[in-house]
Amino acid sequence: MDGVRVGKRIIGAQAPVVVGWENIPRVEGGPLKRFVFTWFQPSLLFALIAFWYYAPNSIAKASTAIGIGIGVRILLLALEWVNPRHASWRLTWKELASDLFYVGLGYTLLNLVERYIGSDVVIEAVQHDFDWDKLAWFTGLPLLLQALLISFIFDFGQYWMHRGMHNWYPLWLTHAPHHYITQLNINKGAVGNPVELFLIGLGIGGFFDFLPRAALLAGTLGLAVGTYQHINVRFNSPRWWRFLFNTTEHHSMHHSQDYEATRSNYASTWIVIDRLFGTCVDGEAELLGMEGGRKMSIAETMTYPFTEGWKSLKERFGKARSAPVIAQPAE
Amino acid sequence: MNRRFIDWLWHVRGSLPLAPGQSRDDAFGRLDPLFREAGTSHDRTDDTLTFRKKGQGAQDRMSIFDGGVLQIRKGAAGLVLHYHLSSRALLFCFLAPLLFLGFAQLTIAAGKIEKATAHATAKKPEKKDAILQLHPIDKFLGAPAPEKPKKDKAKSEEDDKKPSPRAAYIFAAIFACLYVVGRVLEGRLVRSLFRKSLLGA
Repeated sequence: MDGVRVGKRIIGAQAPVVVGWENIPRVEGGPLKRFVFTWFQPSLLFALIAFWYYAPNSIAKASTAIGIGIGVRILLLALEWVNPRHASWRLTWKELASDLFYVGLGYTLLNLVERYIGSDVVIEAVQHDFDWDKLAWFTGLPLLLQALLISFIFDFGQYWMHRGMHNWYPLWLTHAPHHYITQLNINKGAVGNPVELFLIGLGIGGFFDFLPRAALLAGTLGLAVGTYQHINVRFNSPRWWRFLFNTTEHHSMHHSQDYEATRSNYASTWIVIDRLFGTCVDGEAELLGMEGGRKMSIAETMTYPFTEGWKSLKERFGKARSAPVIAQPAE
Repeated sequence: MNRRFIDWLWHVRGSLPLAPGQSRDDAFGRLDPLFREAGTSHDRTDDTLTFRKKGQGAQDRMSIFDGGVLQIRKGAAGLVLHYHLSSRALLFCFLAPLLFLGFAQLTIAAGKIEKATAHATAKKPEKKDAILQLHPIDKFLGAPAPEKPKKDKAKSEEDDKKPSPRAAYIFAAIFACLYVVGRVLEGRLVRSLFRKSLLGA
């Protein structure tokens, strides 16, 4: 495989990827189907923004957001069934059950852990110790600007954490299990080692004071944009959308079996952050995973960072201790 | 106790009559591609095929099963394929509700410990809630104004902050439903897969 030169890198030399929007297939079918799958994403986004902007206070609550989140995910699962992007990413019972197990861990055990050692707890302690107030001026900004800033600042943190995971071995050990997924479906974002999910959830939002409605609006950006990272549906995303936002195409490239391709598209919602830092590659891949698509079990996903970390430590320090000392020639 | 009384929870058994005149060799030949998937090994004797799967791919049509035996025996009306397949995925899904009920208990215990600690520590001086105001642009566009701080806020906040086991109960229920669906669906799917393969359709 020759691969394609993108900047200084050769993408797709190890595994097949498609580079460039002009080479990505469009939605096929009748005019109604093409219309729906062209306008679905922006319509849902703007409908949700309008809802959260104008909903009365009695409705604009976190519990409503959770309900809408579940409803949208069920709708997107139905879309996966109606218009799958790849037959090789079909959602089976076993995949659904396995994905939901990780989602369940996130809502229960991980939530409980984050209560005690999550970023908000640390920020609260810092603010308390240094007698800092939250940045209250933030609440004076227009609602949509607050929402954009909350979303962008959180995603900016995620971008660097994610990029760090691909560049620093101890962090990579926590993230590697997520890269063993071989297909993208709605709940695949939750698949991974809980340590990684904890790390990626860290943010500095706790330093700011914002209107509750702004937080709900920011959350809806995550739902109506970020969710499409992992989905088996083909959309004709508008040009402005794929310039600003992460898409299935970008994220499938990130999950490809090609090593260079995985070192791109780190942002969660705002792919424009990748564009700013030169890590964006527009394109897509169907063949995903690591080690030629080896399937990683739930048990291995849970233990991988620790077992691999232990192996690496033994290799690094164990051998040095036991190996005979060999004189090295002076440089 | 006979294990058969409980192992139906994660074992799928069934039988399918072969087409009249179809030989064992022909039947196993037609089923053979199913056992040539990545991560699958199989042995065959005259009337029995034993298979084992490890690290099977997500799109393997028998990915839910980890091993099994297929036997073609003589029945009253001709040859019959009997299959006995086992699935750890079904077993784990059956046990998953217990795990989530365990998480619920853990959350309740954490809540009790928190409550005890909260009572023991002195209450920190409450800060006066600032009245939040909308930006003029938002007022112009008609967004509802933020709620004024309520007097009984402290109590409701305490209730909100308490760890809730609700999510764990919901996931226990989801996995109980998933198990029932999977046990019925996967049994039917594998039967239909064998039938279609035997017919060569």
